[in-house]
Amino acid sequence: MATAIELQPETAHGAGHDAHGGQGHADHPPTSTGLNSRKMLMWLFLTSDTMFFGTLIATYMSYRNRSIELGMPPYPNEIFDIPYTSVSAFVLLMSSLTMVLALSAVQRGDNRGLRIWIAATALLGAIFVGGQFFEFTTFAKEGLTLDSNIFGSSFYVLTGFHGAHVTIGIVWLLSLLVVSLRGGIPAEKAADVEIAGLYWHFVDIVWIVIFTLVYLIPYADGPEEAVEAAPEAFLRVLTLGDRLLTALPF
Amino acid sequence: MASIAHPGIHAPAIPREQAAPSGLWSWLTTVDHKRIAVLYGVTAFIFFLVGGLEALLIRVQLMRPENNVVDAQRYNELFTMHGTTMIFLVVMPLSVALFNLVVPLQIGARDVAFPRLNAFSYWTFLAGAAILNIPVLFALPEIFLSIAGTAWTNLFGAGLPDALQALGGRWPFPWFNGWPFARYVPDQGWYGYAPLTERFFSGREIDFWALGLQILGVASMAGAFNFIVTILNLRAPGMTMMRLPIFSWSTLITSILIIMAFPVITIALVFLSFDRLGGTMFYGAFNLVEGTLVTSGGDPRLWQHLFWIFGHPEVYILILPAFGLVSEIIPVFSRKPLFGYAVMVYAIAAIAFLGFGVWVHHMFTTGLGATPTAAFAAATMLIAIPTGVKILNWTATMWGGALTFTTPMLFAVGLVSQFVIGGLSGVMHAVVPVDTQQNDTYFVVAHFHYVLFGGSIFALLGALYFYWPKVFGKLLDERIGKIHFWLTFIGFNMTFFPMHFLGLAGMPRRYSTYGWESGWWFWNVISTLGALLIAASVLVFLLNVLRTAQSKQNVGANPWDAPTLEWAIPSPPPVYNFRIVPLVTHRDQLWHDKYDRIAESHGRPDDVADAIVEVDQLPERSRLGVAVAEAQAEEGNIHLPNPSFYPLLCGLGLFLLAFGILINNPHIQLGFLGIPIVSALGFLLLVISIYGWSFEPAG
Repeated sequence: MATAIELQPETAHGAGHDAHGGQGHADHPPTSTGLNSRKMLMWLFLTSDTMFFGTLIATYMSYRNRSIELGMPPYPNEIFDIPYTSVSAFVLLMSSLTMVLALSAVQRGDNRGLRIWIAATALLGAIFVGGQFFEFTTFAKEGLTLDSNIFGSSFYVLTGFHGAHVTIGIVWLLSLLVVSLRGGIPAEKAADVEIAGLYWHFVDIVWIVIFTLVYLIPYADGPEEAVEAAPEAFLRVLTLGDRLLTALPF
Repeated sequence: MASIAHPGIHAPAIPREQAAPSGLWSWLTTVDHKRIAVLYGVTAFIFFLVGGLEALLIRVQLMRPENNVVDAQRYNELFTMHGTTMIFLVVMPLSVALFNLVVPLQIGARDVAFPRLNAFSYWTFLAGAAILNIPVLFALPEIFLSIAGTAWTNLFGAGLPDALQALGGRWPFPWFNGWPFARYVPDQGWYGYAPLTERFFSGREIDFWALGLQILGVASMAGAFNFIVTILNLRAPGMTMMRLPIFSWSTLITSILIIMAFPVITIALVFLSFDRLGGTMFYGAFNLVEGTLVTSGGDPRLWQHLFWIFGHPEVYILILPAFGLVSEIIPVFSRKPLFGYAVMVYAIAAIAFLGFGVWVHHMFTTGLGATPTAAFAAATMLIAIPTGVKILNWTATMWGGALTFTTPMLFAVGLVSQFVIGGLSGVMHAVVPVDTQQNDTYFVVAHFHYVLFGGSIFALLGALYFYWPKVFGKLLDERIGKIHFWLTFIGFNMTFFPMHFLGLAGMPRRYSTYGWESGWWFWNVISTLGALLIAASVLVFLLNVLRTAQSKQNVGANPWDAPTLEWAIPSPPPVYNFRIVPLVTHRDQLWHDKYDRIAESHGRPDDVADAIVEVDQLPERSRLGVAVAEAQAEEGNIHLPNPSFYPLLCGLGLFLLAFGILINNPHIQLGFLGIPIVSALGFLLLVISIYGWSFEPAG
């Protein structure tokens, strides 16, 4: 990720520092809103990322029952192992807790705590990604592939995109860990950890949505039930349009 | 304290003058927003010529019935590349060039918030543009051969000379022809409807198109993040949001549209690339499994929805910067502040907000049912209200003003008049039965050229004349400029107004030719003559640029007597823009300083005194800004961000990553597992540059 460019001279730091009464804001020059520019950049990126995931999730939802209705196995009910995925979802959610503890540590200037909690966060993230890798391998063995049916296509692309996000997050955390090991991250630079944390929490929150919509909401067992449960015939013709309209986040 | 209040008036001399570095390396590593603006502008103008030539070929083909200058395949390629080029490689980057040039100067900043990210946007844009145009490059000799062959036959009644025929439509360097990536150029239309883009119906050219657009999306989003942060965070002390110049407002809102809309098209293109390279079937209703067609469950309407959820905000991404520019130009040449500033801001925001809720009006004939259609028709009509407000405010700004019709003003007024025509035909399309009749006819082509050419291009050309002196210190020639304007204006109306008649007469768009019995030839001849006039007007503009480059004038800081901060500093601006960060007390600051103060200061010994009072009244953060500015002025040295090579390397990495995927797929069906060496190299380069970027001192 981009680092902020400081446009003000070293003396400006001094001036900014003094005017703040030495409250430790010298890390970045004063901005019109008083908010850190890099943190704002991350929030804007997350806005964009919401639209990325919104599109993927809307697509998944509009195709959710399509392959069952068409009688194209494997069906979601045969494939998903909800207890297994619940455990890995729990692991990912716990990583948000360790992330908060890491941020708290760096803000207190506690570099040892920072290393422990960042390593823990990355480890929990790695367990989640490893679990996803194992899940994908198992599903593929059971016949669900990218091109087996529309369920496979939309499932793998959506959860794979999320897994890629977690992987990038792990690489980012490990990079912070290396920086911390090679001299430490001072409390004034806590924003470096905080911005990574924003990203990490976002990826966790997205998983709550994906886990609920993809795994937890029940599916029909087979074509007959799916067609029975489907909306009335004229709505079925419009399923894509109508479901997109209701599923999109705006 | 007094010295801070007046930009460029009481500025103390800076002991160590910072000269701009020169040479190729300084351009490759530049992070200066003014240089990036020039890079964007020049690149976009080159693509303007490319897209213009494609348009000319289209018009020459349609000049008469049963014409055969290009065949149907080449014709499809021409309109696809014309549309894609003009939207993504001309209007958007020209707007971004002006964002880069104007916004930091207008808000009183030394640069954008993230200068290296800004350079990254440009290099990534260039990478995407290159990927998109590689098929064109390889098809050029064949296109040339076929056109030259037809012309030769028509003129001399014989085939081309043997020497030319022998080349067989290939480049004269054999090693170059050894890389036949794509037999064709993208030919599916700029909105790339499935299933035309699916792997059963098209070749590798669509992969170039899809990956090129994905990379262009990354560039646009990176730029948009940067401008939002810049505008929110780097405003000069005292510049509240409601003192923000209107072009900066339109930049802010356009950028918000970009970060919300581009993710949708990016994911839609990712699905498309998976369909083409990974065996999925998101958009095709059928899949080919072991030689037989089976139902896949995919739906081509998904692409239409996703494309237009992006596509409609995209048209506002194209027009809102133009609106902002016109809102800057008209007050200057009316000698009046903009009428209804606050309402103009709300109108931009309202257009952007509504722009996300109208995409289905591009799909009225898709058959989505009465309810969605009616809802989207109503939403579409609503957009006419804020747009009408803007037209009214421009007119009211001119009302009673001391008008001078310089070239920028002519183009700005040109936009107001031409956009009304395009806007009215747009509202007509909100009426579903009318739209159903006009869908896919030349009436639609007329409509969107009136808003895109009569709107965006007019404003951008006007802005080139308006801001040319700020970039180069020289005014473009007014006499040639007026010829340029009138040629453009007449040529534009000759080209596109007849298309209304052709559309109503039933001429479909995207047909490569038509019969004598259709009765369409007359207006097509007029239209083609108009296109030649537009081509002539571009030559006149180039002549103007060349002549101006030779002149030795320097027009000083503010040749137009404009009111915003960019005109307070010398032309061309020094690398650090502002010697001291200006203090803003009014919306049209320079007019206030020049005119109001003279009027107000009678009997007062020092008219600067009130500015000092106002510094004390500023909120703490702004006072902090003033303190920083003072410290800099005392130090006498302005610290600038370091140049960096990593943004260029990142762009190159992305290019190689995409390029590798494209060249290593001799068979369309090849899965993602065959990751080629070039892609791996590109990925490695990308990772290395991101780390280099993160750990190099930013300056």
